[in-house]
Amino acid sequence: MSTIAEKINTGEKLLPSLEKEQDLLSGSEAIRVIRRKGVDSFSKQGLPARKSEEYKYSPVSLLFKPELALRAPIQSPVLKTRDIDSYRIPQLDAYQITLVNGFFSPELSALQLEDGMISVSSLSTIPAPLVPLFTKHFGNYASIHADPFTALNTAVFADVLFISIPEKKLLDKPIQILNIIHADSPVLISPRILIHVGKGASVQIIENYIYTGKSSQVVSNALTEIVVEEGSRALFYKIQDHCTDLNLISTTQVLQKTGSHFDTHTVTLSGKWIRNNLNIVPDGEHCETHLNGLFILNGAQHTDNHTLVDHRKPNCESNQLYRGILDDKSTGVFNGKIYVRPDAQKTNAYQSSKNMLLSDEASMNTKPQLEIYADDVKCSHGSSTGQIDEDALFYLRARGLSIDSARALLMLAFARDVVNTIRIDALRTEVERLIEKRLTK
Amino acid sequence: MAKENQLLEEITGSEYKYGFSSDIETETAPKGLNEDTVRFISAKKNEPEWMLASRLKAFRYWLTLEEPRHWAHIQYPVIDFQDIIYYAAPKRPKELKSLDEVDPELLRTFEKLGISLEEQKRLSGVQSTIAIDAVIDSVSVKTTFKETLAEKGIIFCSFSEAVQEHPELVKQYMGSVVPYTDNYYAALNAAVFSDGSFCYIPKGVRCPMELSTYFRINTSGTGQFERTLIIADEGAYVSYLEGCTAPMRDENQLHAAVVEIIAHKNGEVKYSTVQNWYPGDKQGKGGIYNFVTKRGICLGDNSKISWTQVETGSAITWKYPSVILKGNNSVGEFYSVAVTNNYQQADTGTKMTHLGKNTRSTIVSKGISAGFSNNSYRGLVRIAKGATGARNHSQCDSLLMGDKCGAHTFPYIEIKDKSAIVEHEATTSKIGEDQIFYCNQRGIPTEKAVALIVNGYCKEVLNQLPMEFAVEAQKLLTVSLEGSVG
Repeated sequence: MSTIAEKINTGEKLLPSLEKEQDLLSGSEAIRVIRRKGVDSFSKQGLPARKSEEYKYSPVSLLFKPELALRAPIQSPVLKTRDIDSYRIPQLDAYQITLVNGFFSPELSALQLEDGMISVSSLSTIPAPLVPLFTKHFGNYASIHADPFTALNTAVFADVLFISIPEKKLLDKPIQILNIIHADSPVLISPRILIHVGKGASVQIIENYIYTGKSSQVVSNALTEIVVEEGSRALFYKIQDHCTDLNLISTTQVLQKTGSHFDTHTVTLSGKWIRNNLNIVPDGEHCETHLNGLFILNGAQHTDNHTLVDHRKPNCESNQLYRGILDDKSTGVFNGKIYVRPDAQKTNAYQSSKNMLLSDEASMNTKPQLEIYADDVKCSHGSSTGQIDEDALFYLRARGLSIDSARALLMLAFARDVVNTIRIDALRTEVERLIEKRLTK
Repeated sequence: MAKENQLLEEITGSEYKYGFSSDIETETAPKGLNEDTVRFISAKKNEPEWMLASRLKAFRYWLTLEEPRHWAHIQYPVIDFQDIIYYAAPKRPKELKSLDEVDPELLRTFEKLGISLEEQKRLSGVQSTIAIDAVIDSVSVKTTFKETLAEKGIIFCSFSEAVQEHPELVKQYMGSVVPYTDNYYAALNAAVFSDGSFCYIPKGVRCPMELSTYFRINTSGTGQFERTLIIADEGAYVSYLEGCTAPMRDENQLHAAVVEIIAHKNGEVKYSTVQNWYPGDKQGKGGIYNFVTKRGICLGDNSKISWTQVETGSAITWKYPSVILKGNNSVGEFYSVAVTNNYQQADTGTKMTHLGKNTRSTIVSKGISAGFSNNSYRGLVRIAKGATGARNHSQCDSLLMGDKCGAHTFPYIEIKDKSAIVEHEATTSKIGEDQIFYCNQRGIPTEKAVALIVNGYCKEVLNQLPMEFAVEAQKLLTVSLEGSVG
């Protein structure tokens, strides 16, 4: 197993291990070419340096220790269905897909698919008719030159989960992906997902990040690409719970075609060091995009939410809503970028980020950013950071609530701004339960 | 729409109104920058040894630095620092006793700018309003009202005079807010600064008049590196105005100033700028590069520093007037209007660093972009650990006129104290068609309607300016706006 050298920033020392890895990884010639490009790009970029603007508040130097191995051992057999049952959401009827260390595991998944429903496959099992579709879209949206972690994932991904929703298919129940990371030694795992939502289709996807290992030095560098075709609708929920001790870089790259609707939630409740890159490109007119996020941090947790909405075509609308509650020594980052290209007239783009600091040791860095090159637009952002409103607290206490329950109630109300926009009932109930558990301790 | 376009073209054609070049003999340093240039400037100014040493130290440090080119949202050709004249002083008799001794050409220049010294002088007999320290091409020419101020113990003179006459104050405060190690241009300035204004308000004195400096870049190919130092001692108050106009030039001219403000306990400094340097022509040729470091520190408790700026000129504006809120209960304010037209670029904003308890800061930034210009707000609000009860409210609005320009917002908010309350709001939009229609309907032509709406949009900031400046600012705004009806 190759290891990442100490001086990873240069990219040079890492190169031999990346090279060696190329022969061990399976895949067609086309896949090898893609990986090769990833290696080349990463070797040029290296890991983000301390002064890197994009990683200014989330220095990555601590994550990449010399002993970190590039790849996890192939699919660990330790996990049984009953091991992962506890991670399923109660009352949620869904198509279950399980990934273990990035490998699609049909045995742990519960799909029971009928003909013409959806197609779920791994790199080696893509049905022949879908191969052209996969080739057309895979690796085409997340730019390996824009972010070193995208390059790194592209260089060493071992498997790909490919989900294809056929045209005009309105899926009857959500798809749930359990993205399980299971490792006891410091490894770098690179899960990779491609989701294609066909024209006029509608789908709800829940992705749960789960870490079952013991090492606190495991790094998961996940990359998900989603193509939302013309007139289709996709709801994508990313739930980061059961991630204690995990270092996670999770990049989601979305391409929206004309008249599509994309709605996403990122809920972070646990995890040691998390960076969420959410890049959405509405590349067609009349697209609607909603980005919602909630993070509740304590201990020494670090969570960084980077969003980018790149409006390229006119008449689109995007809406961002982020809420954060930070306690103990936790640190939070929100960097929301709205880009309006010269031709994207009549764009409406909104952004709201509110955060609550509960402790003197906690800190929050916000950078809501607008770059606008078209004049007939309505763009705004609002960001605030503060504490629990003393007046509101007093109001509740005057009505007999204890200070703890009054505080919990106010925080719950604060979090509900985001929670209430979750459209899957079972999921909303579960998230509410988790938050309540967290806030009332 | 066709009519609007026509109007747009007609008006974008408006040339720079202060574009003229006056023939005043100047004494210049040879082109280029090396230790000899630094020594030349120092010798010309007859500076003491410690000043030269400090210049050389800054120069040697500057040599180790790399020109910052990447982080700001601006683009410009590489600057050849060897192709700049670092010192240009108008030739003049040693001491000016009265205005009669002033070069008539110079007086005419002032007249064109509308700040006739004579007018000031005449008015002063009746009612003194503004004291002017006029700076033409880096050297302070005339300081008026000096005696009136001296009675109160206020020192208001050129920087070089201060070096000669008040070396202890200069030594104590120069570089204490903006050290030469601060950034590339601050180091350059510390090495080659030619002149500037110095102002010291002693304990408990409230400066009875607005202090004002006029900067003007005159000789072709000269960089202007002035240095301003304002100190308000305990309980002192001063309102300081800085206004700029520059004649039309083809070559890009570099301007890298440093302004330092120190406010002691209960002291208050209000610093207002109207900047209208040559922005380049319609094709984006020429214009001033304005790379300025402005920073104030609220050293003592209950002190206050307020920056107000109206930026309409310069091909590139790159400046962030900042406040370090060190004293408890200190207050920092930043009010800004930045207008860009044609190919102008502005990357401006502020930094508010909260260190003391119960410190407050307010940021109001209004950006207006037209033509092919790009206008960015870049700001930082940092609440340090222990800055209990800190409060900040920021508001940055952008107005776009025309579909080829850009408006950008890069706010950084870093909070390390739970008791802080920080709010940030930003909006970007264009002038509402309904608003224009409303005005048209009442017989106000589109162009005037736009001026009206923009003036209303900037009102919050313009209201902060002292009376004398507000008028000029409004005029400037209208002039700049003439080219931007969309």
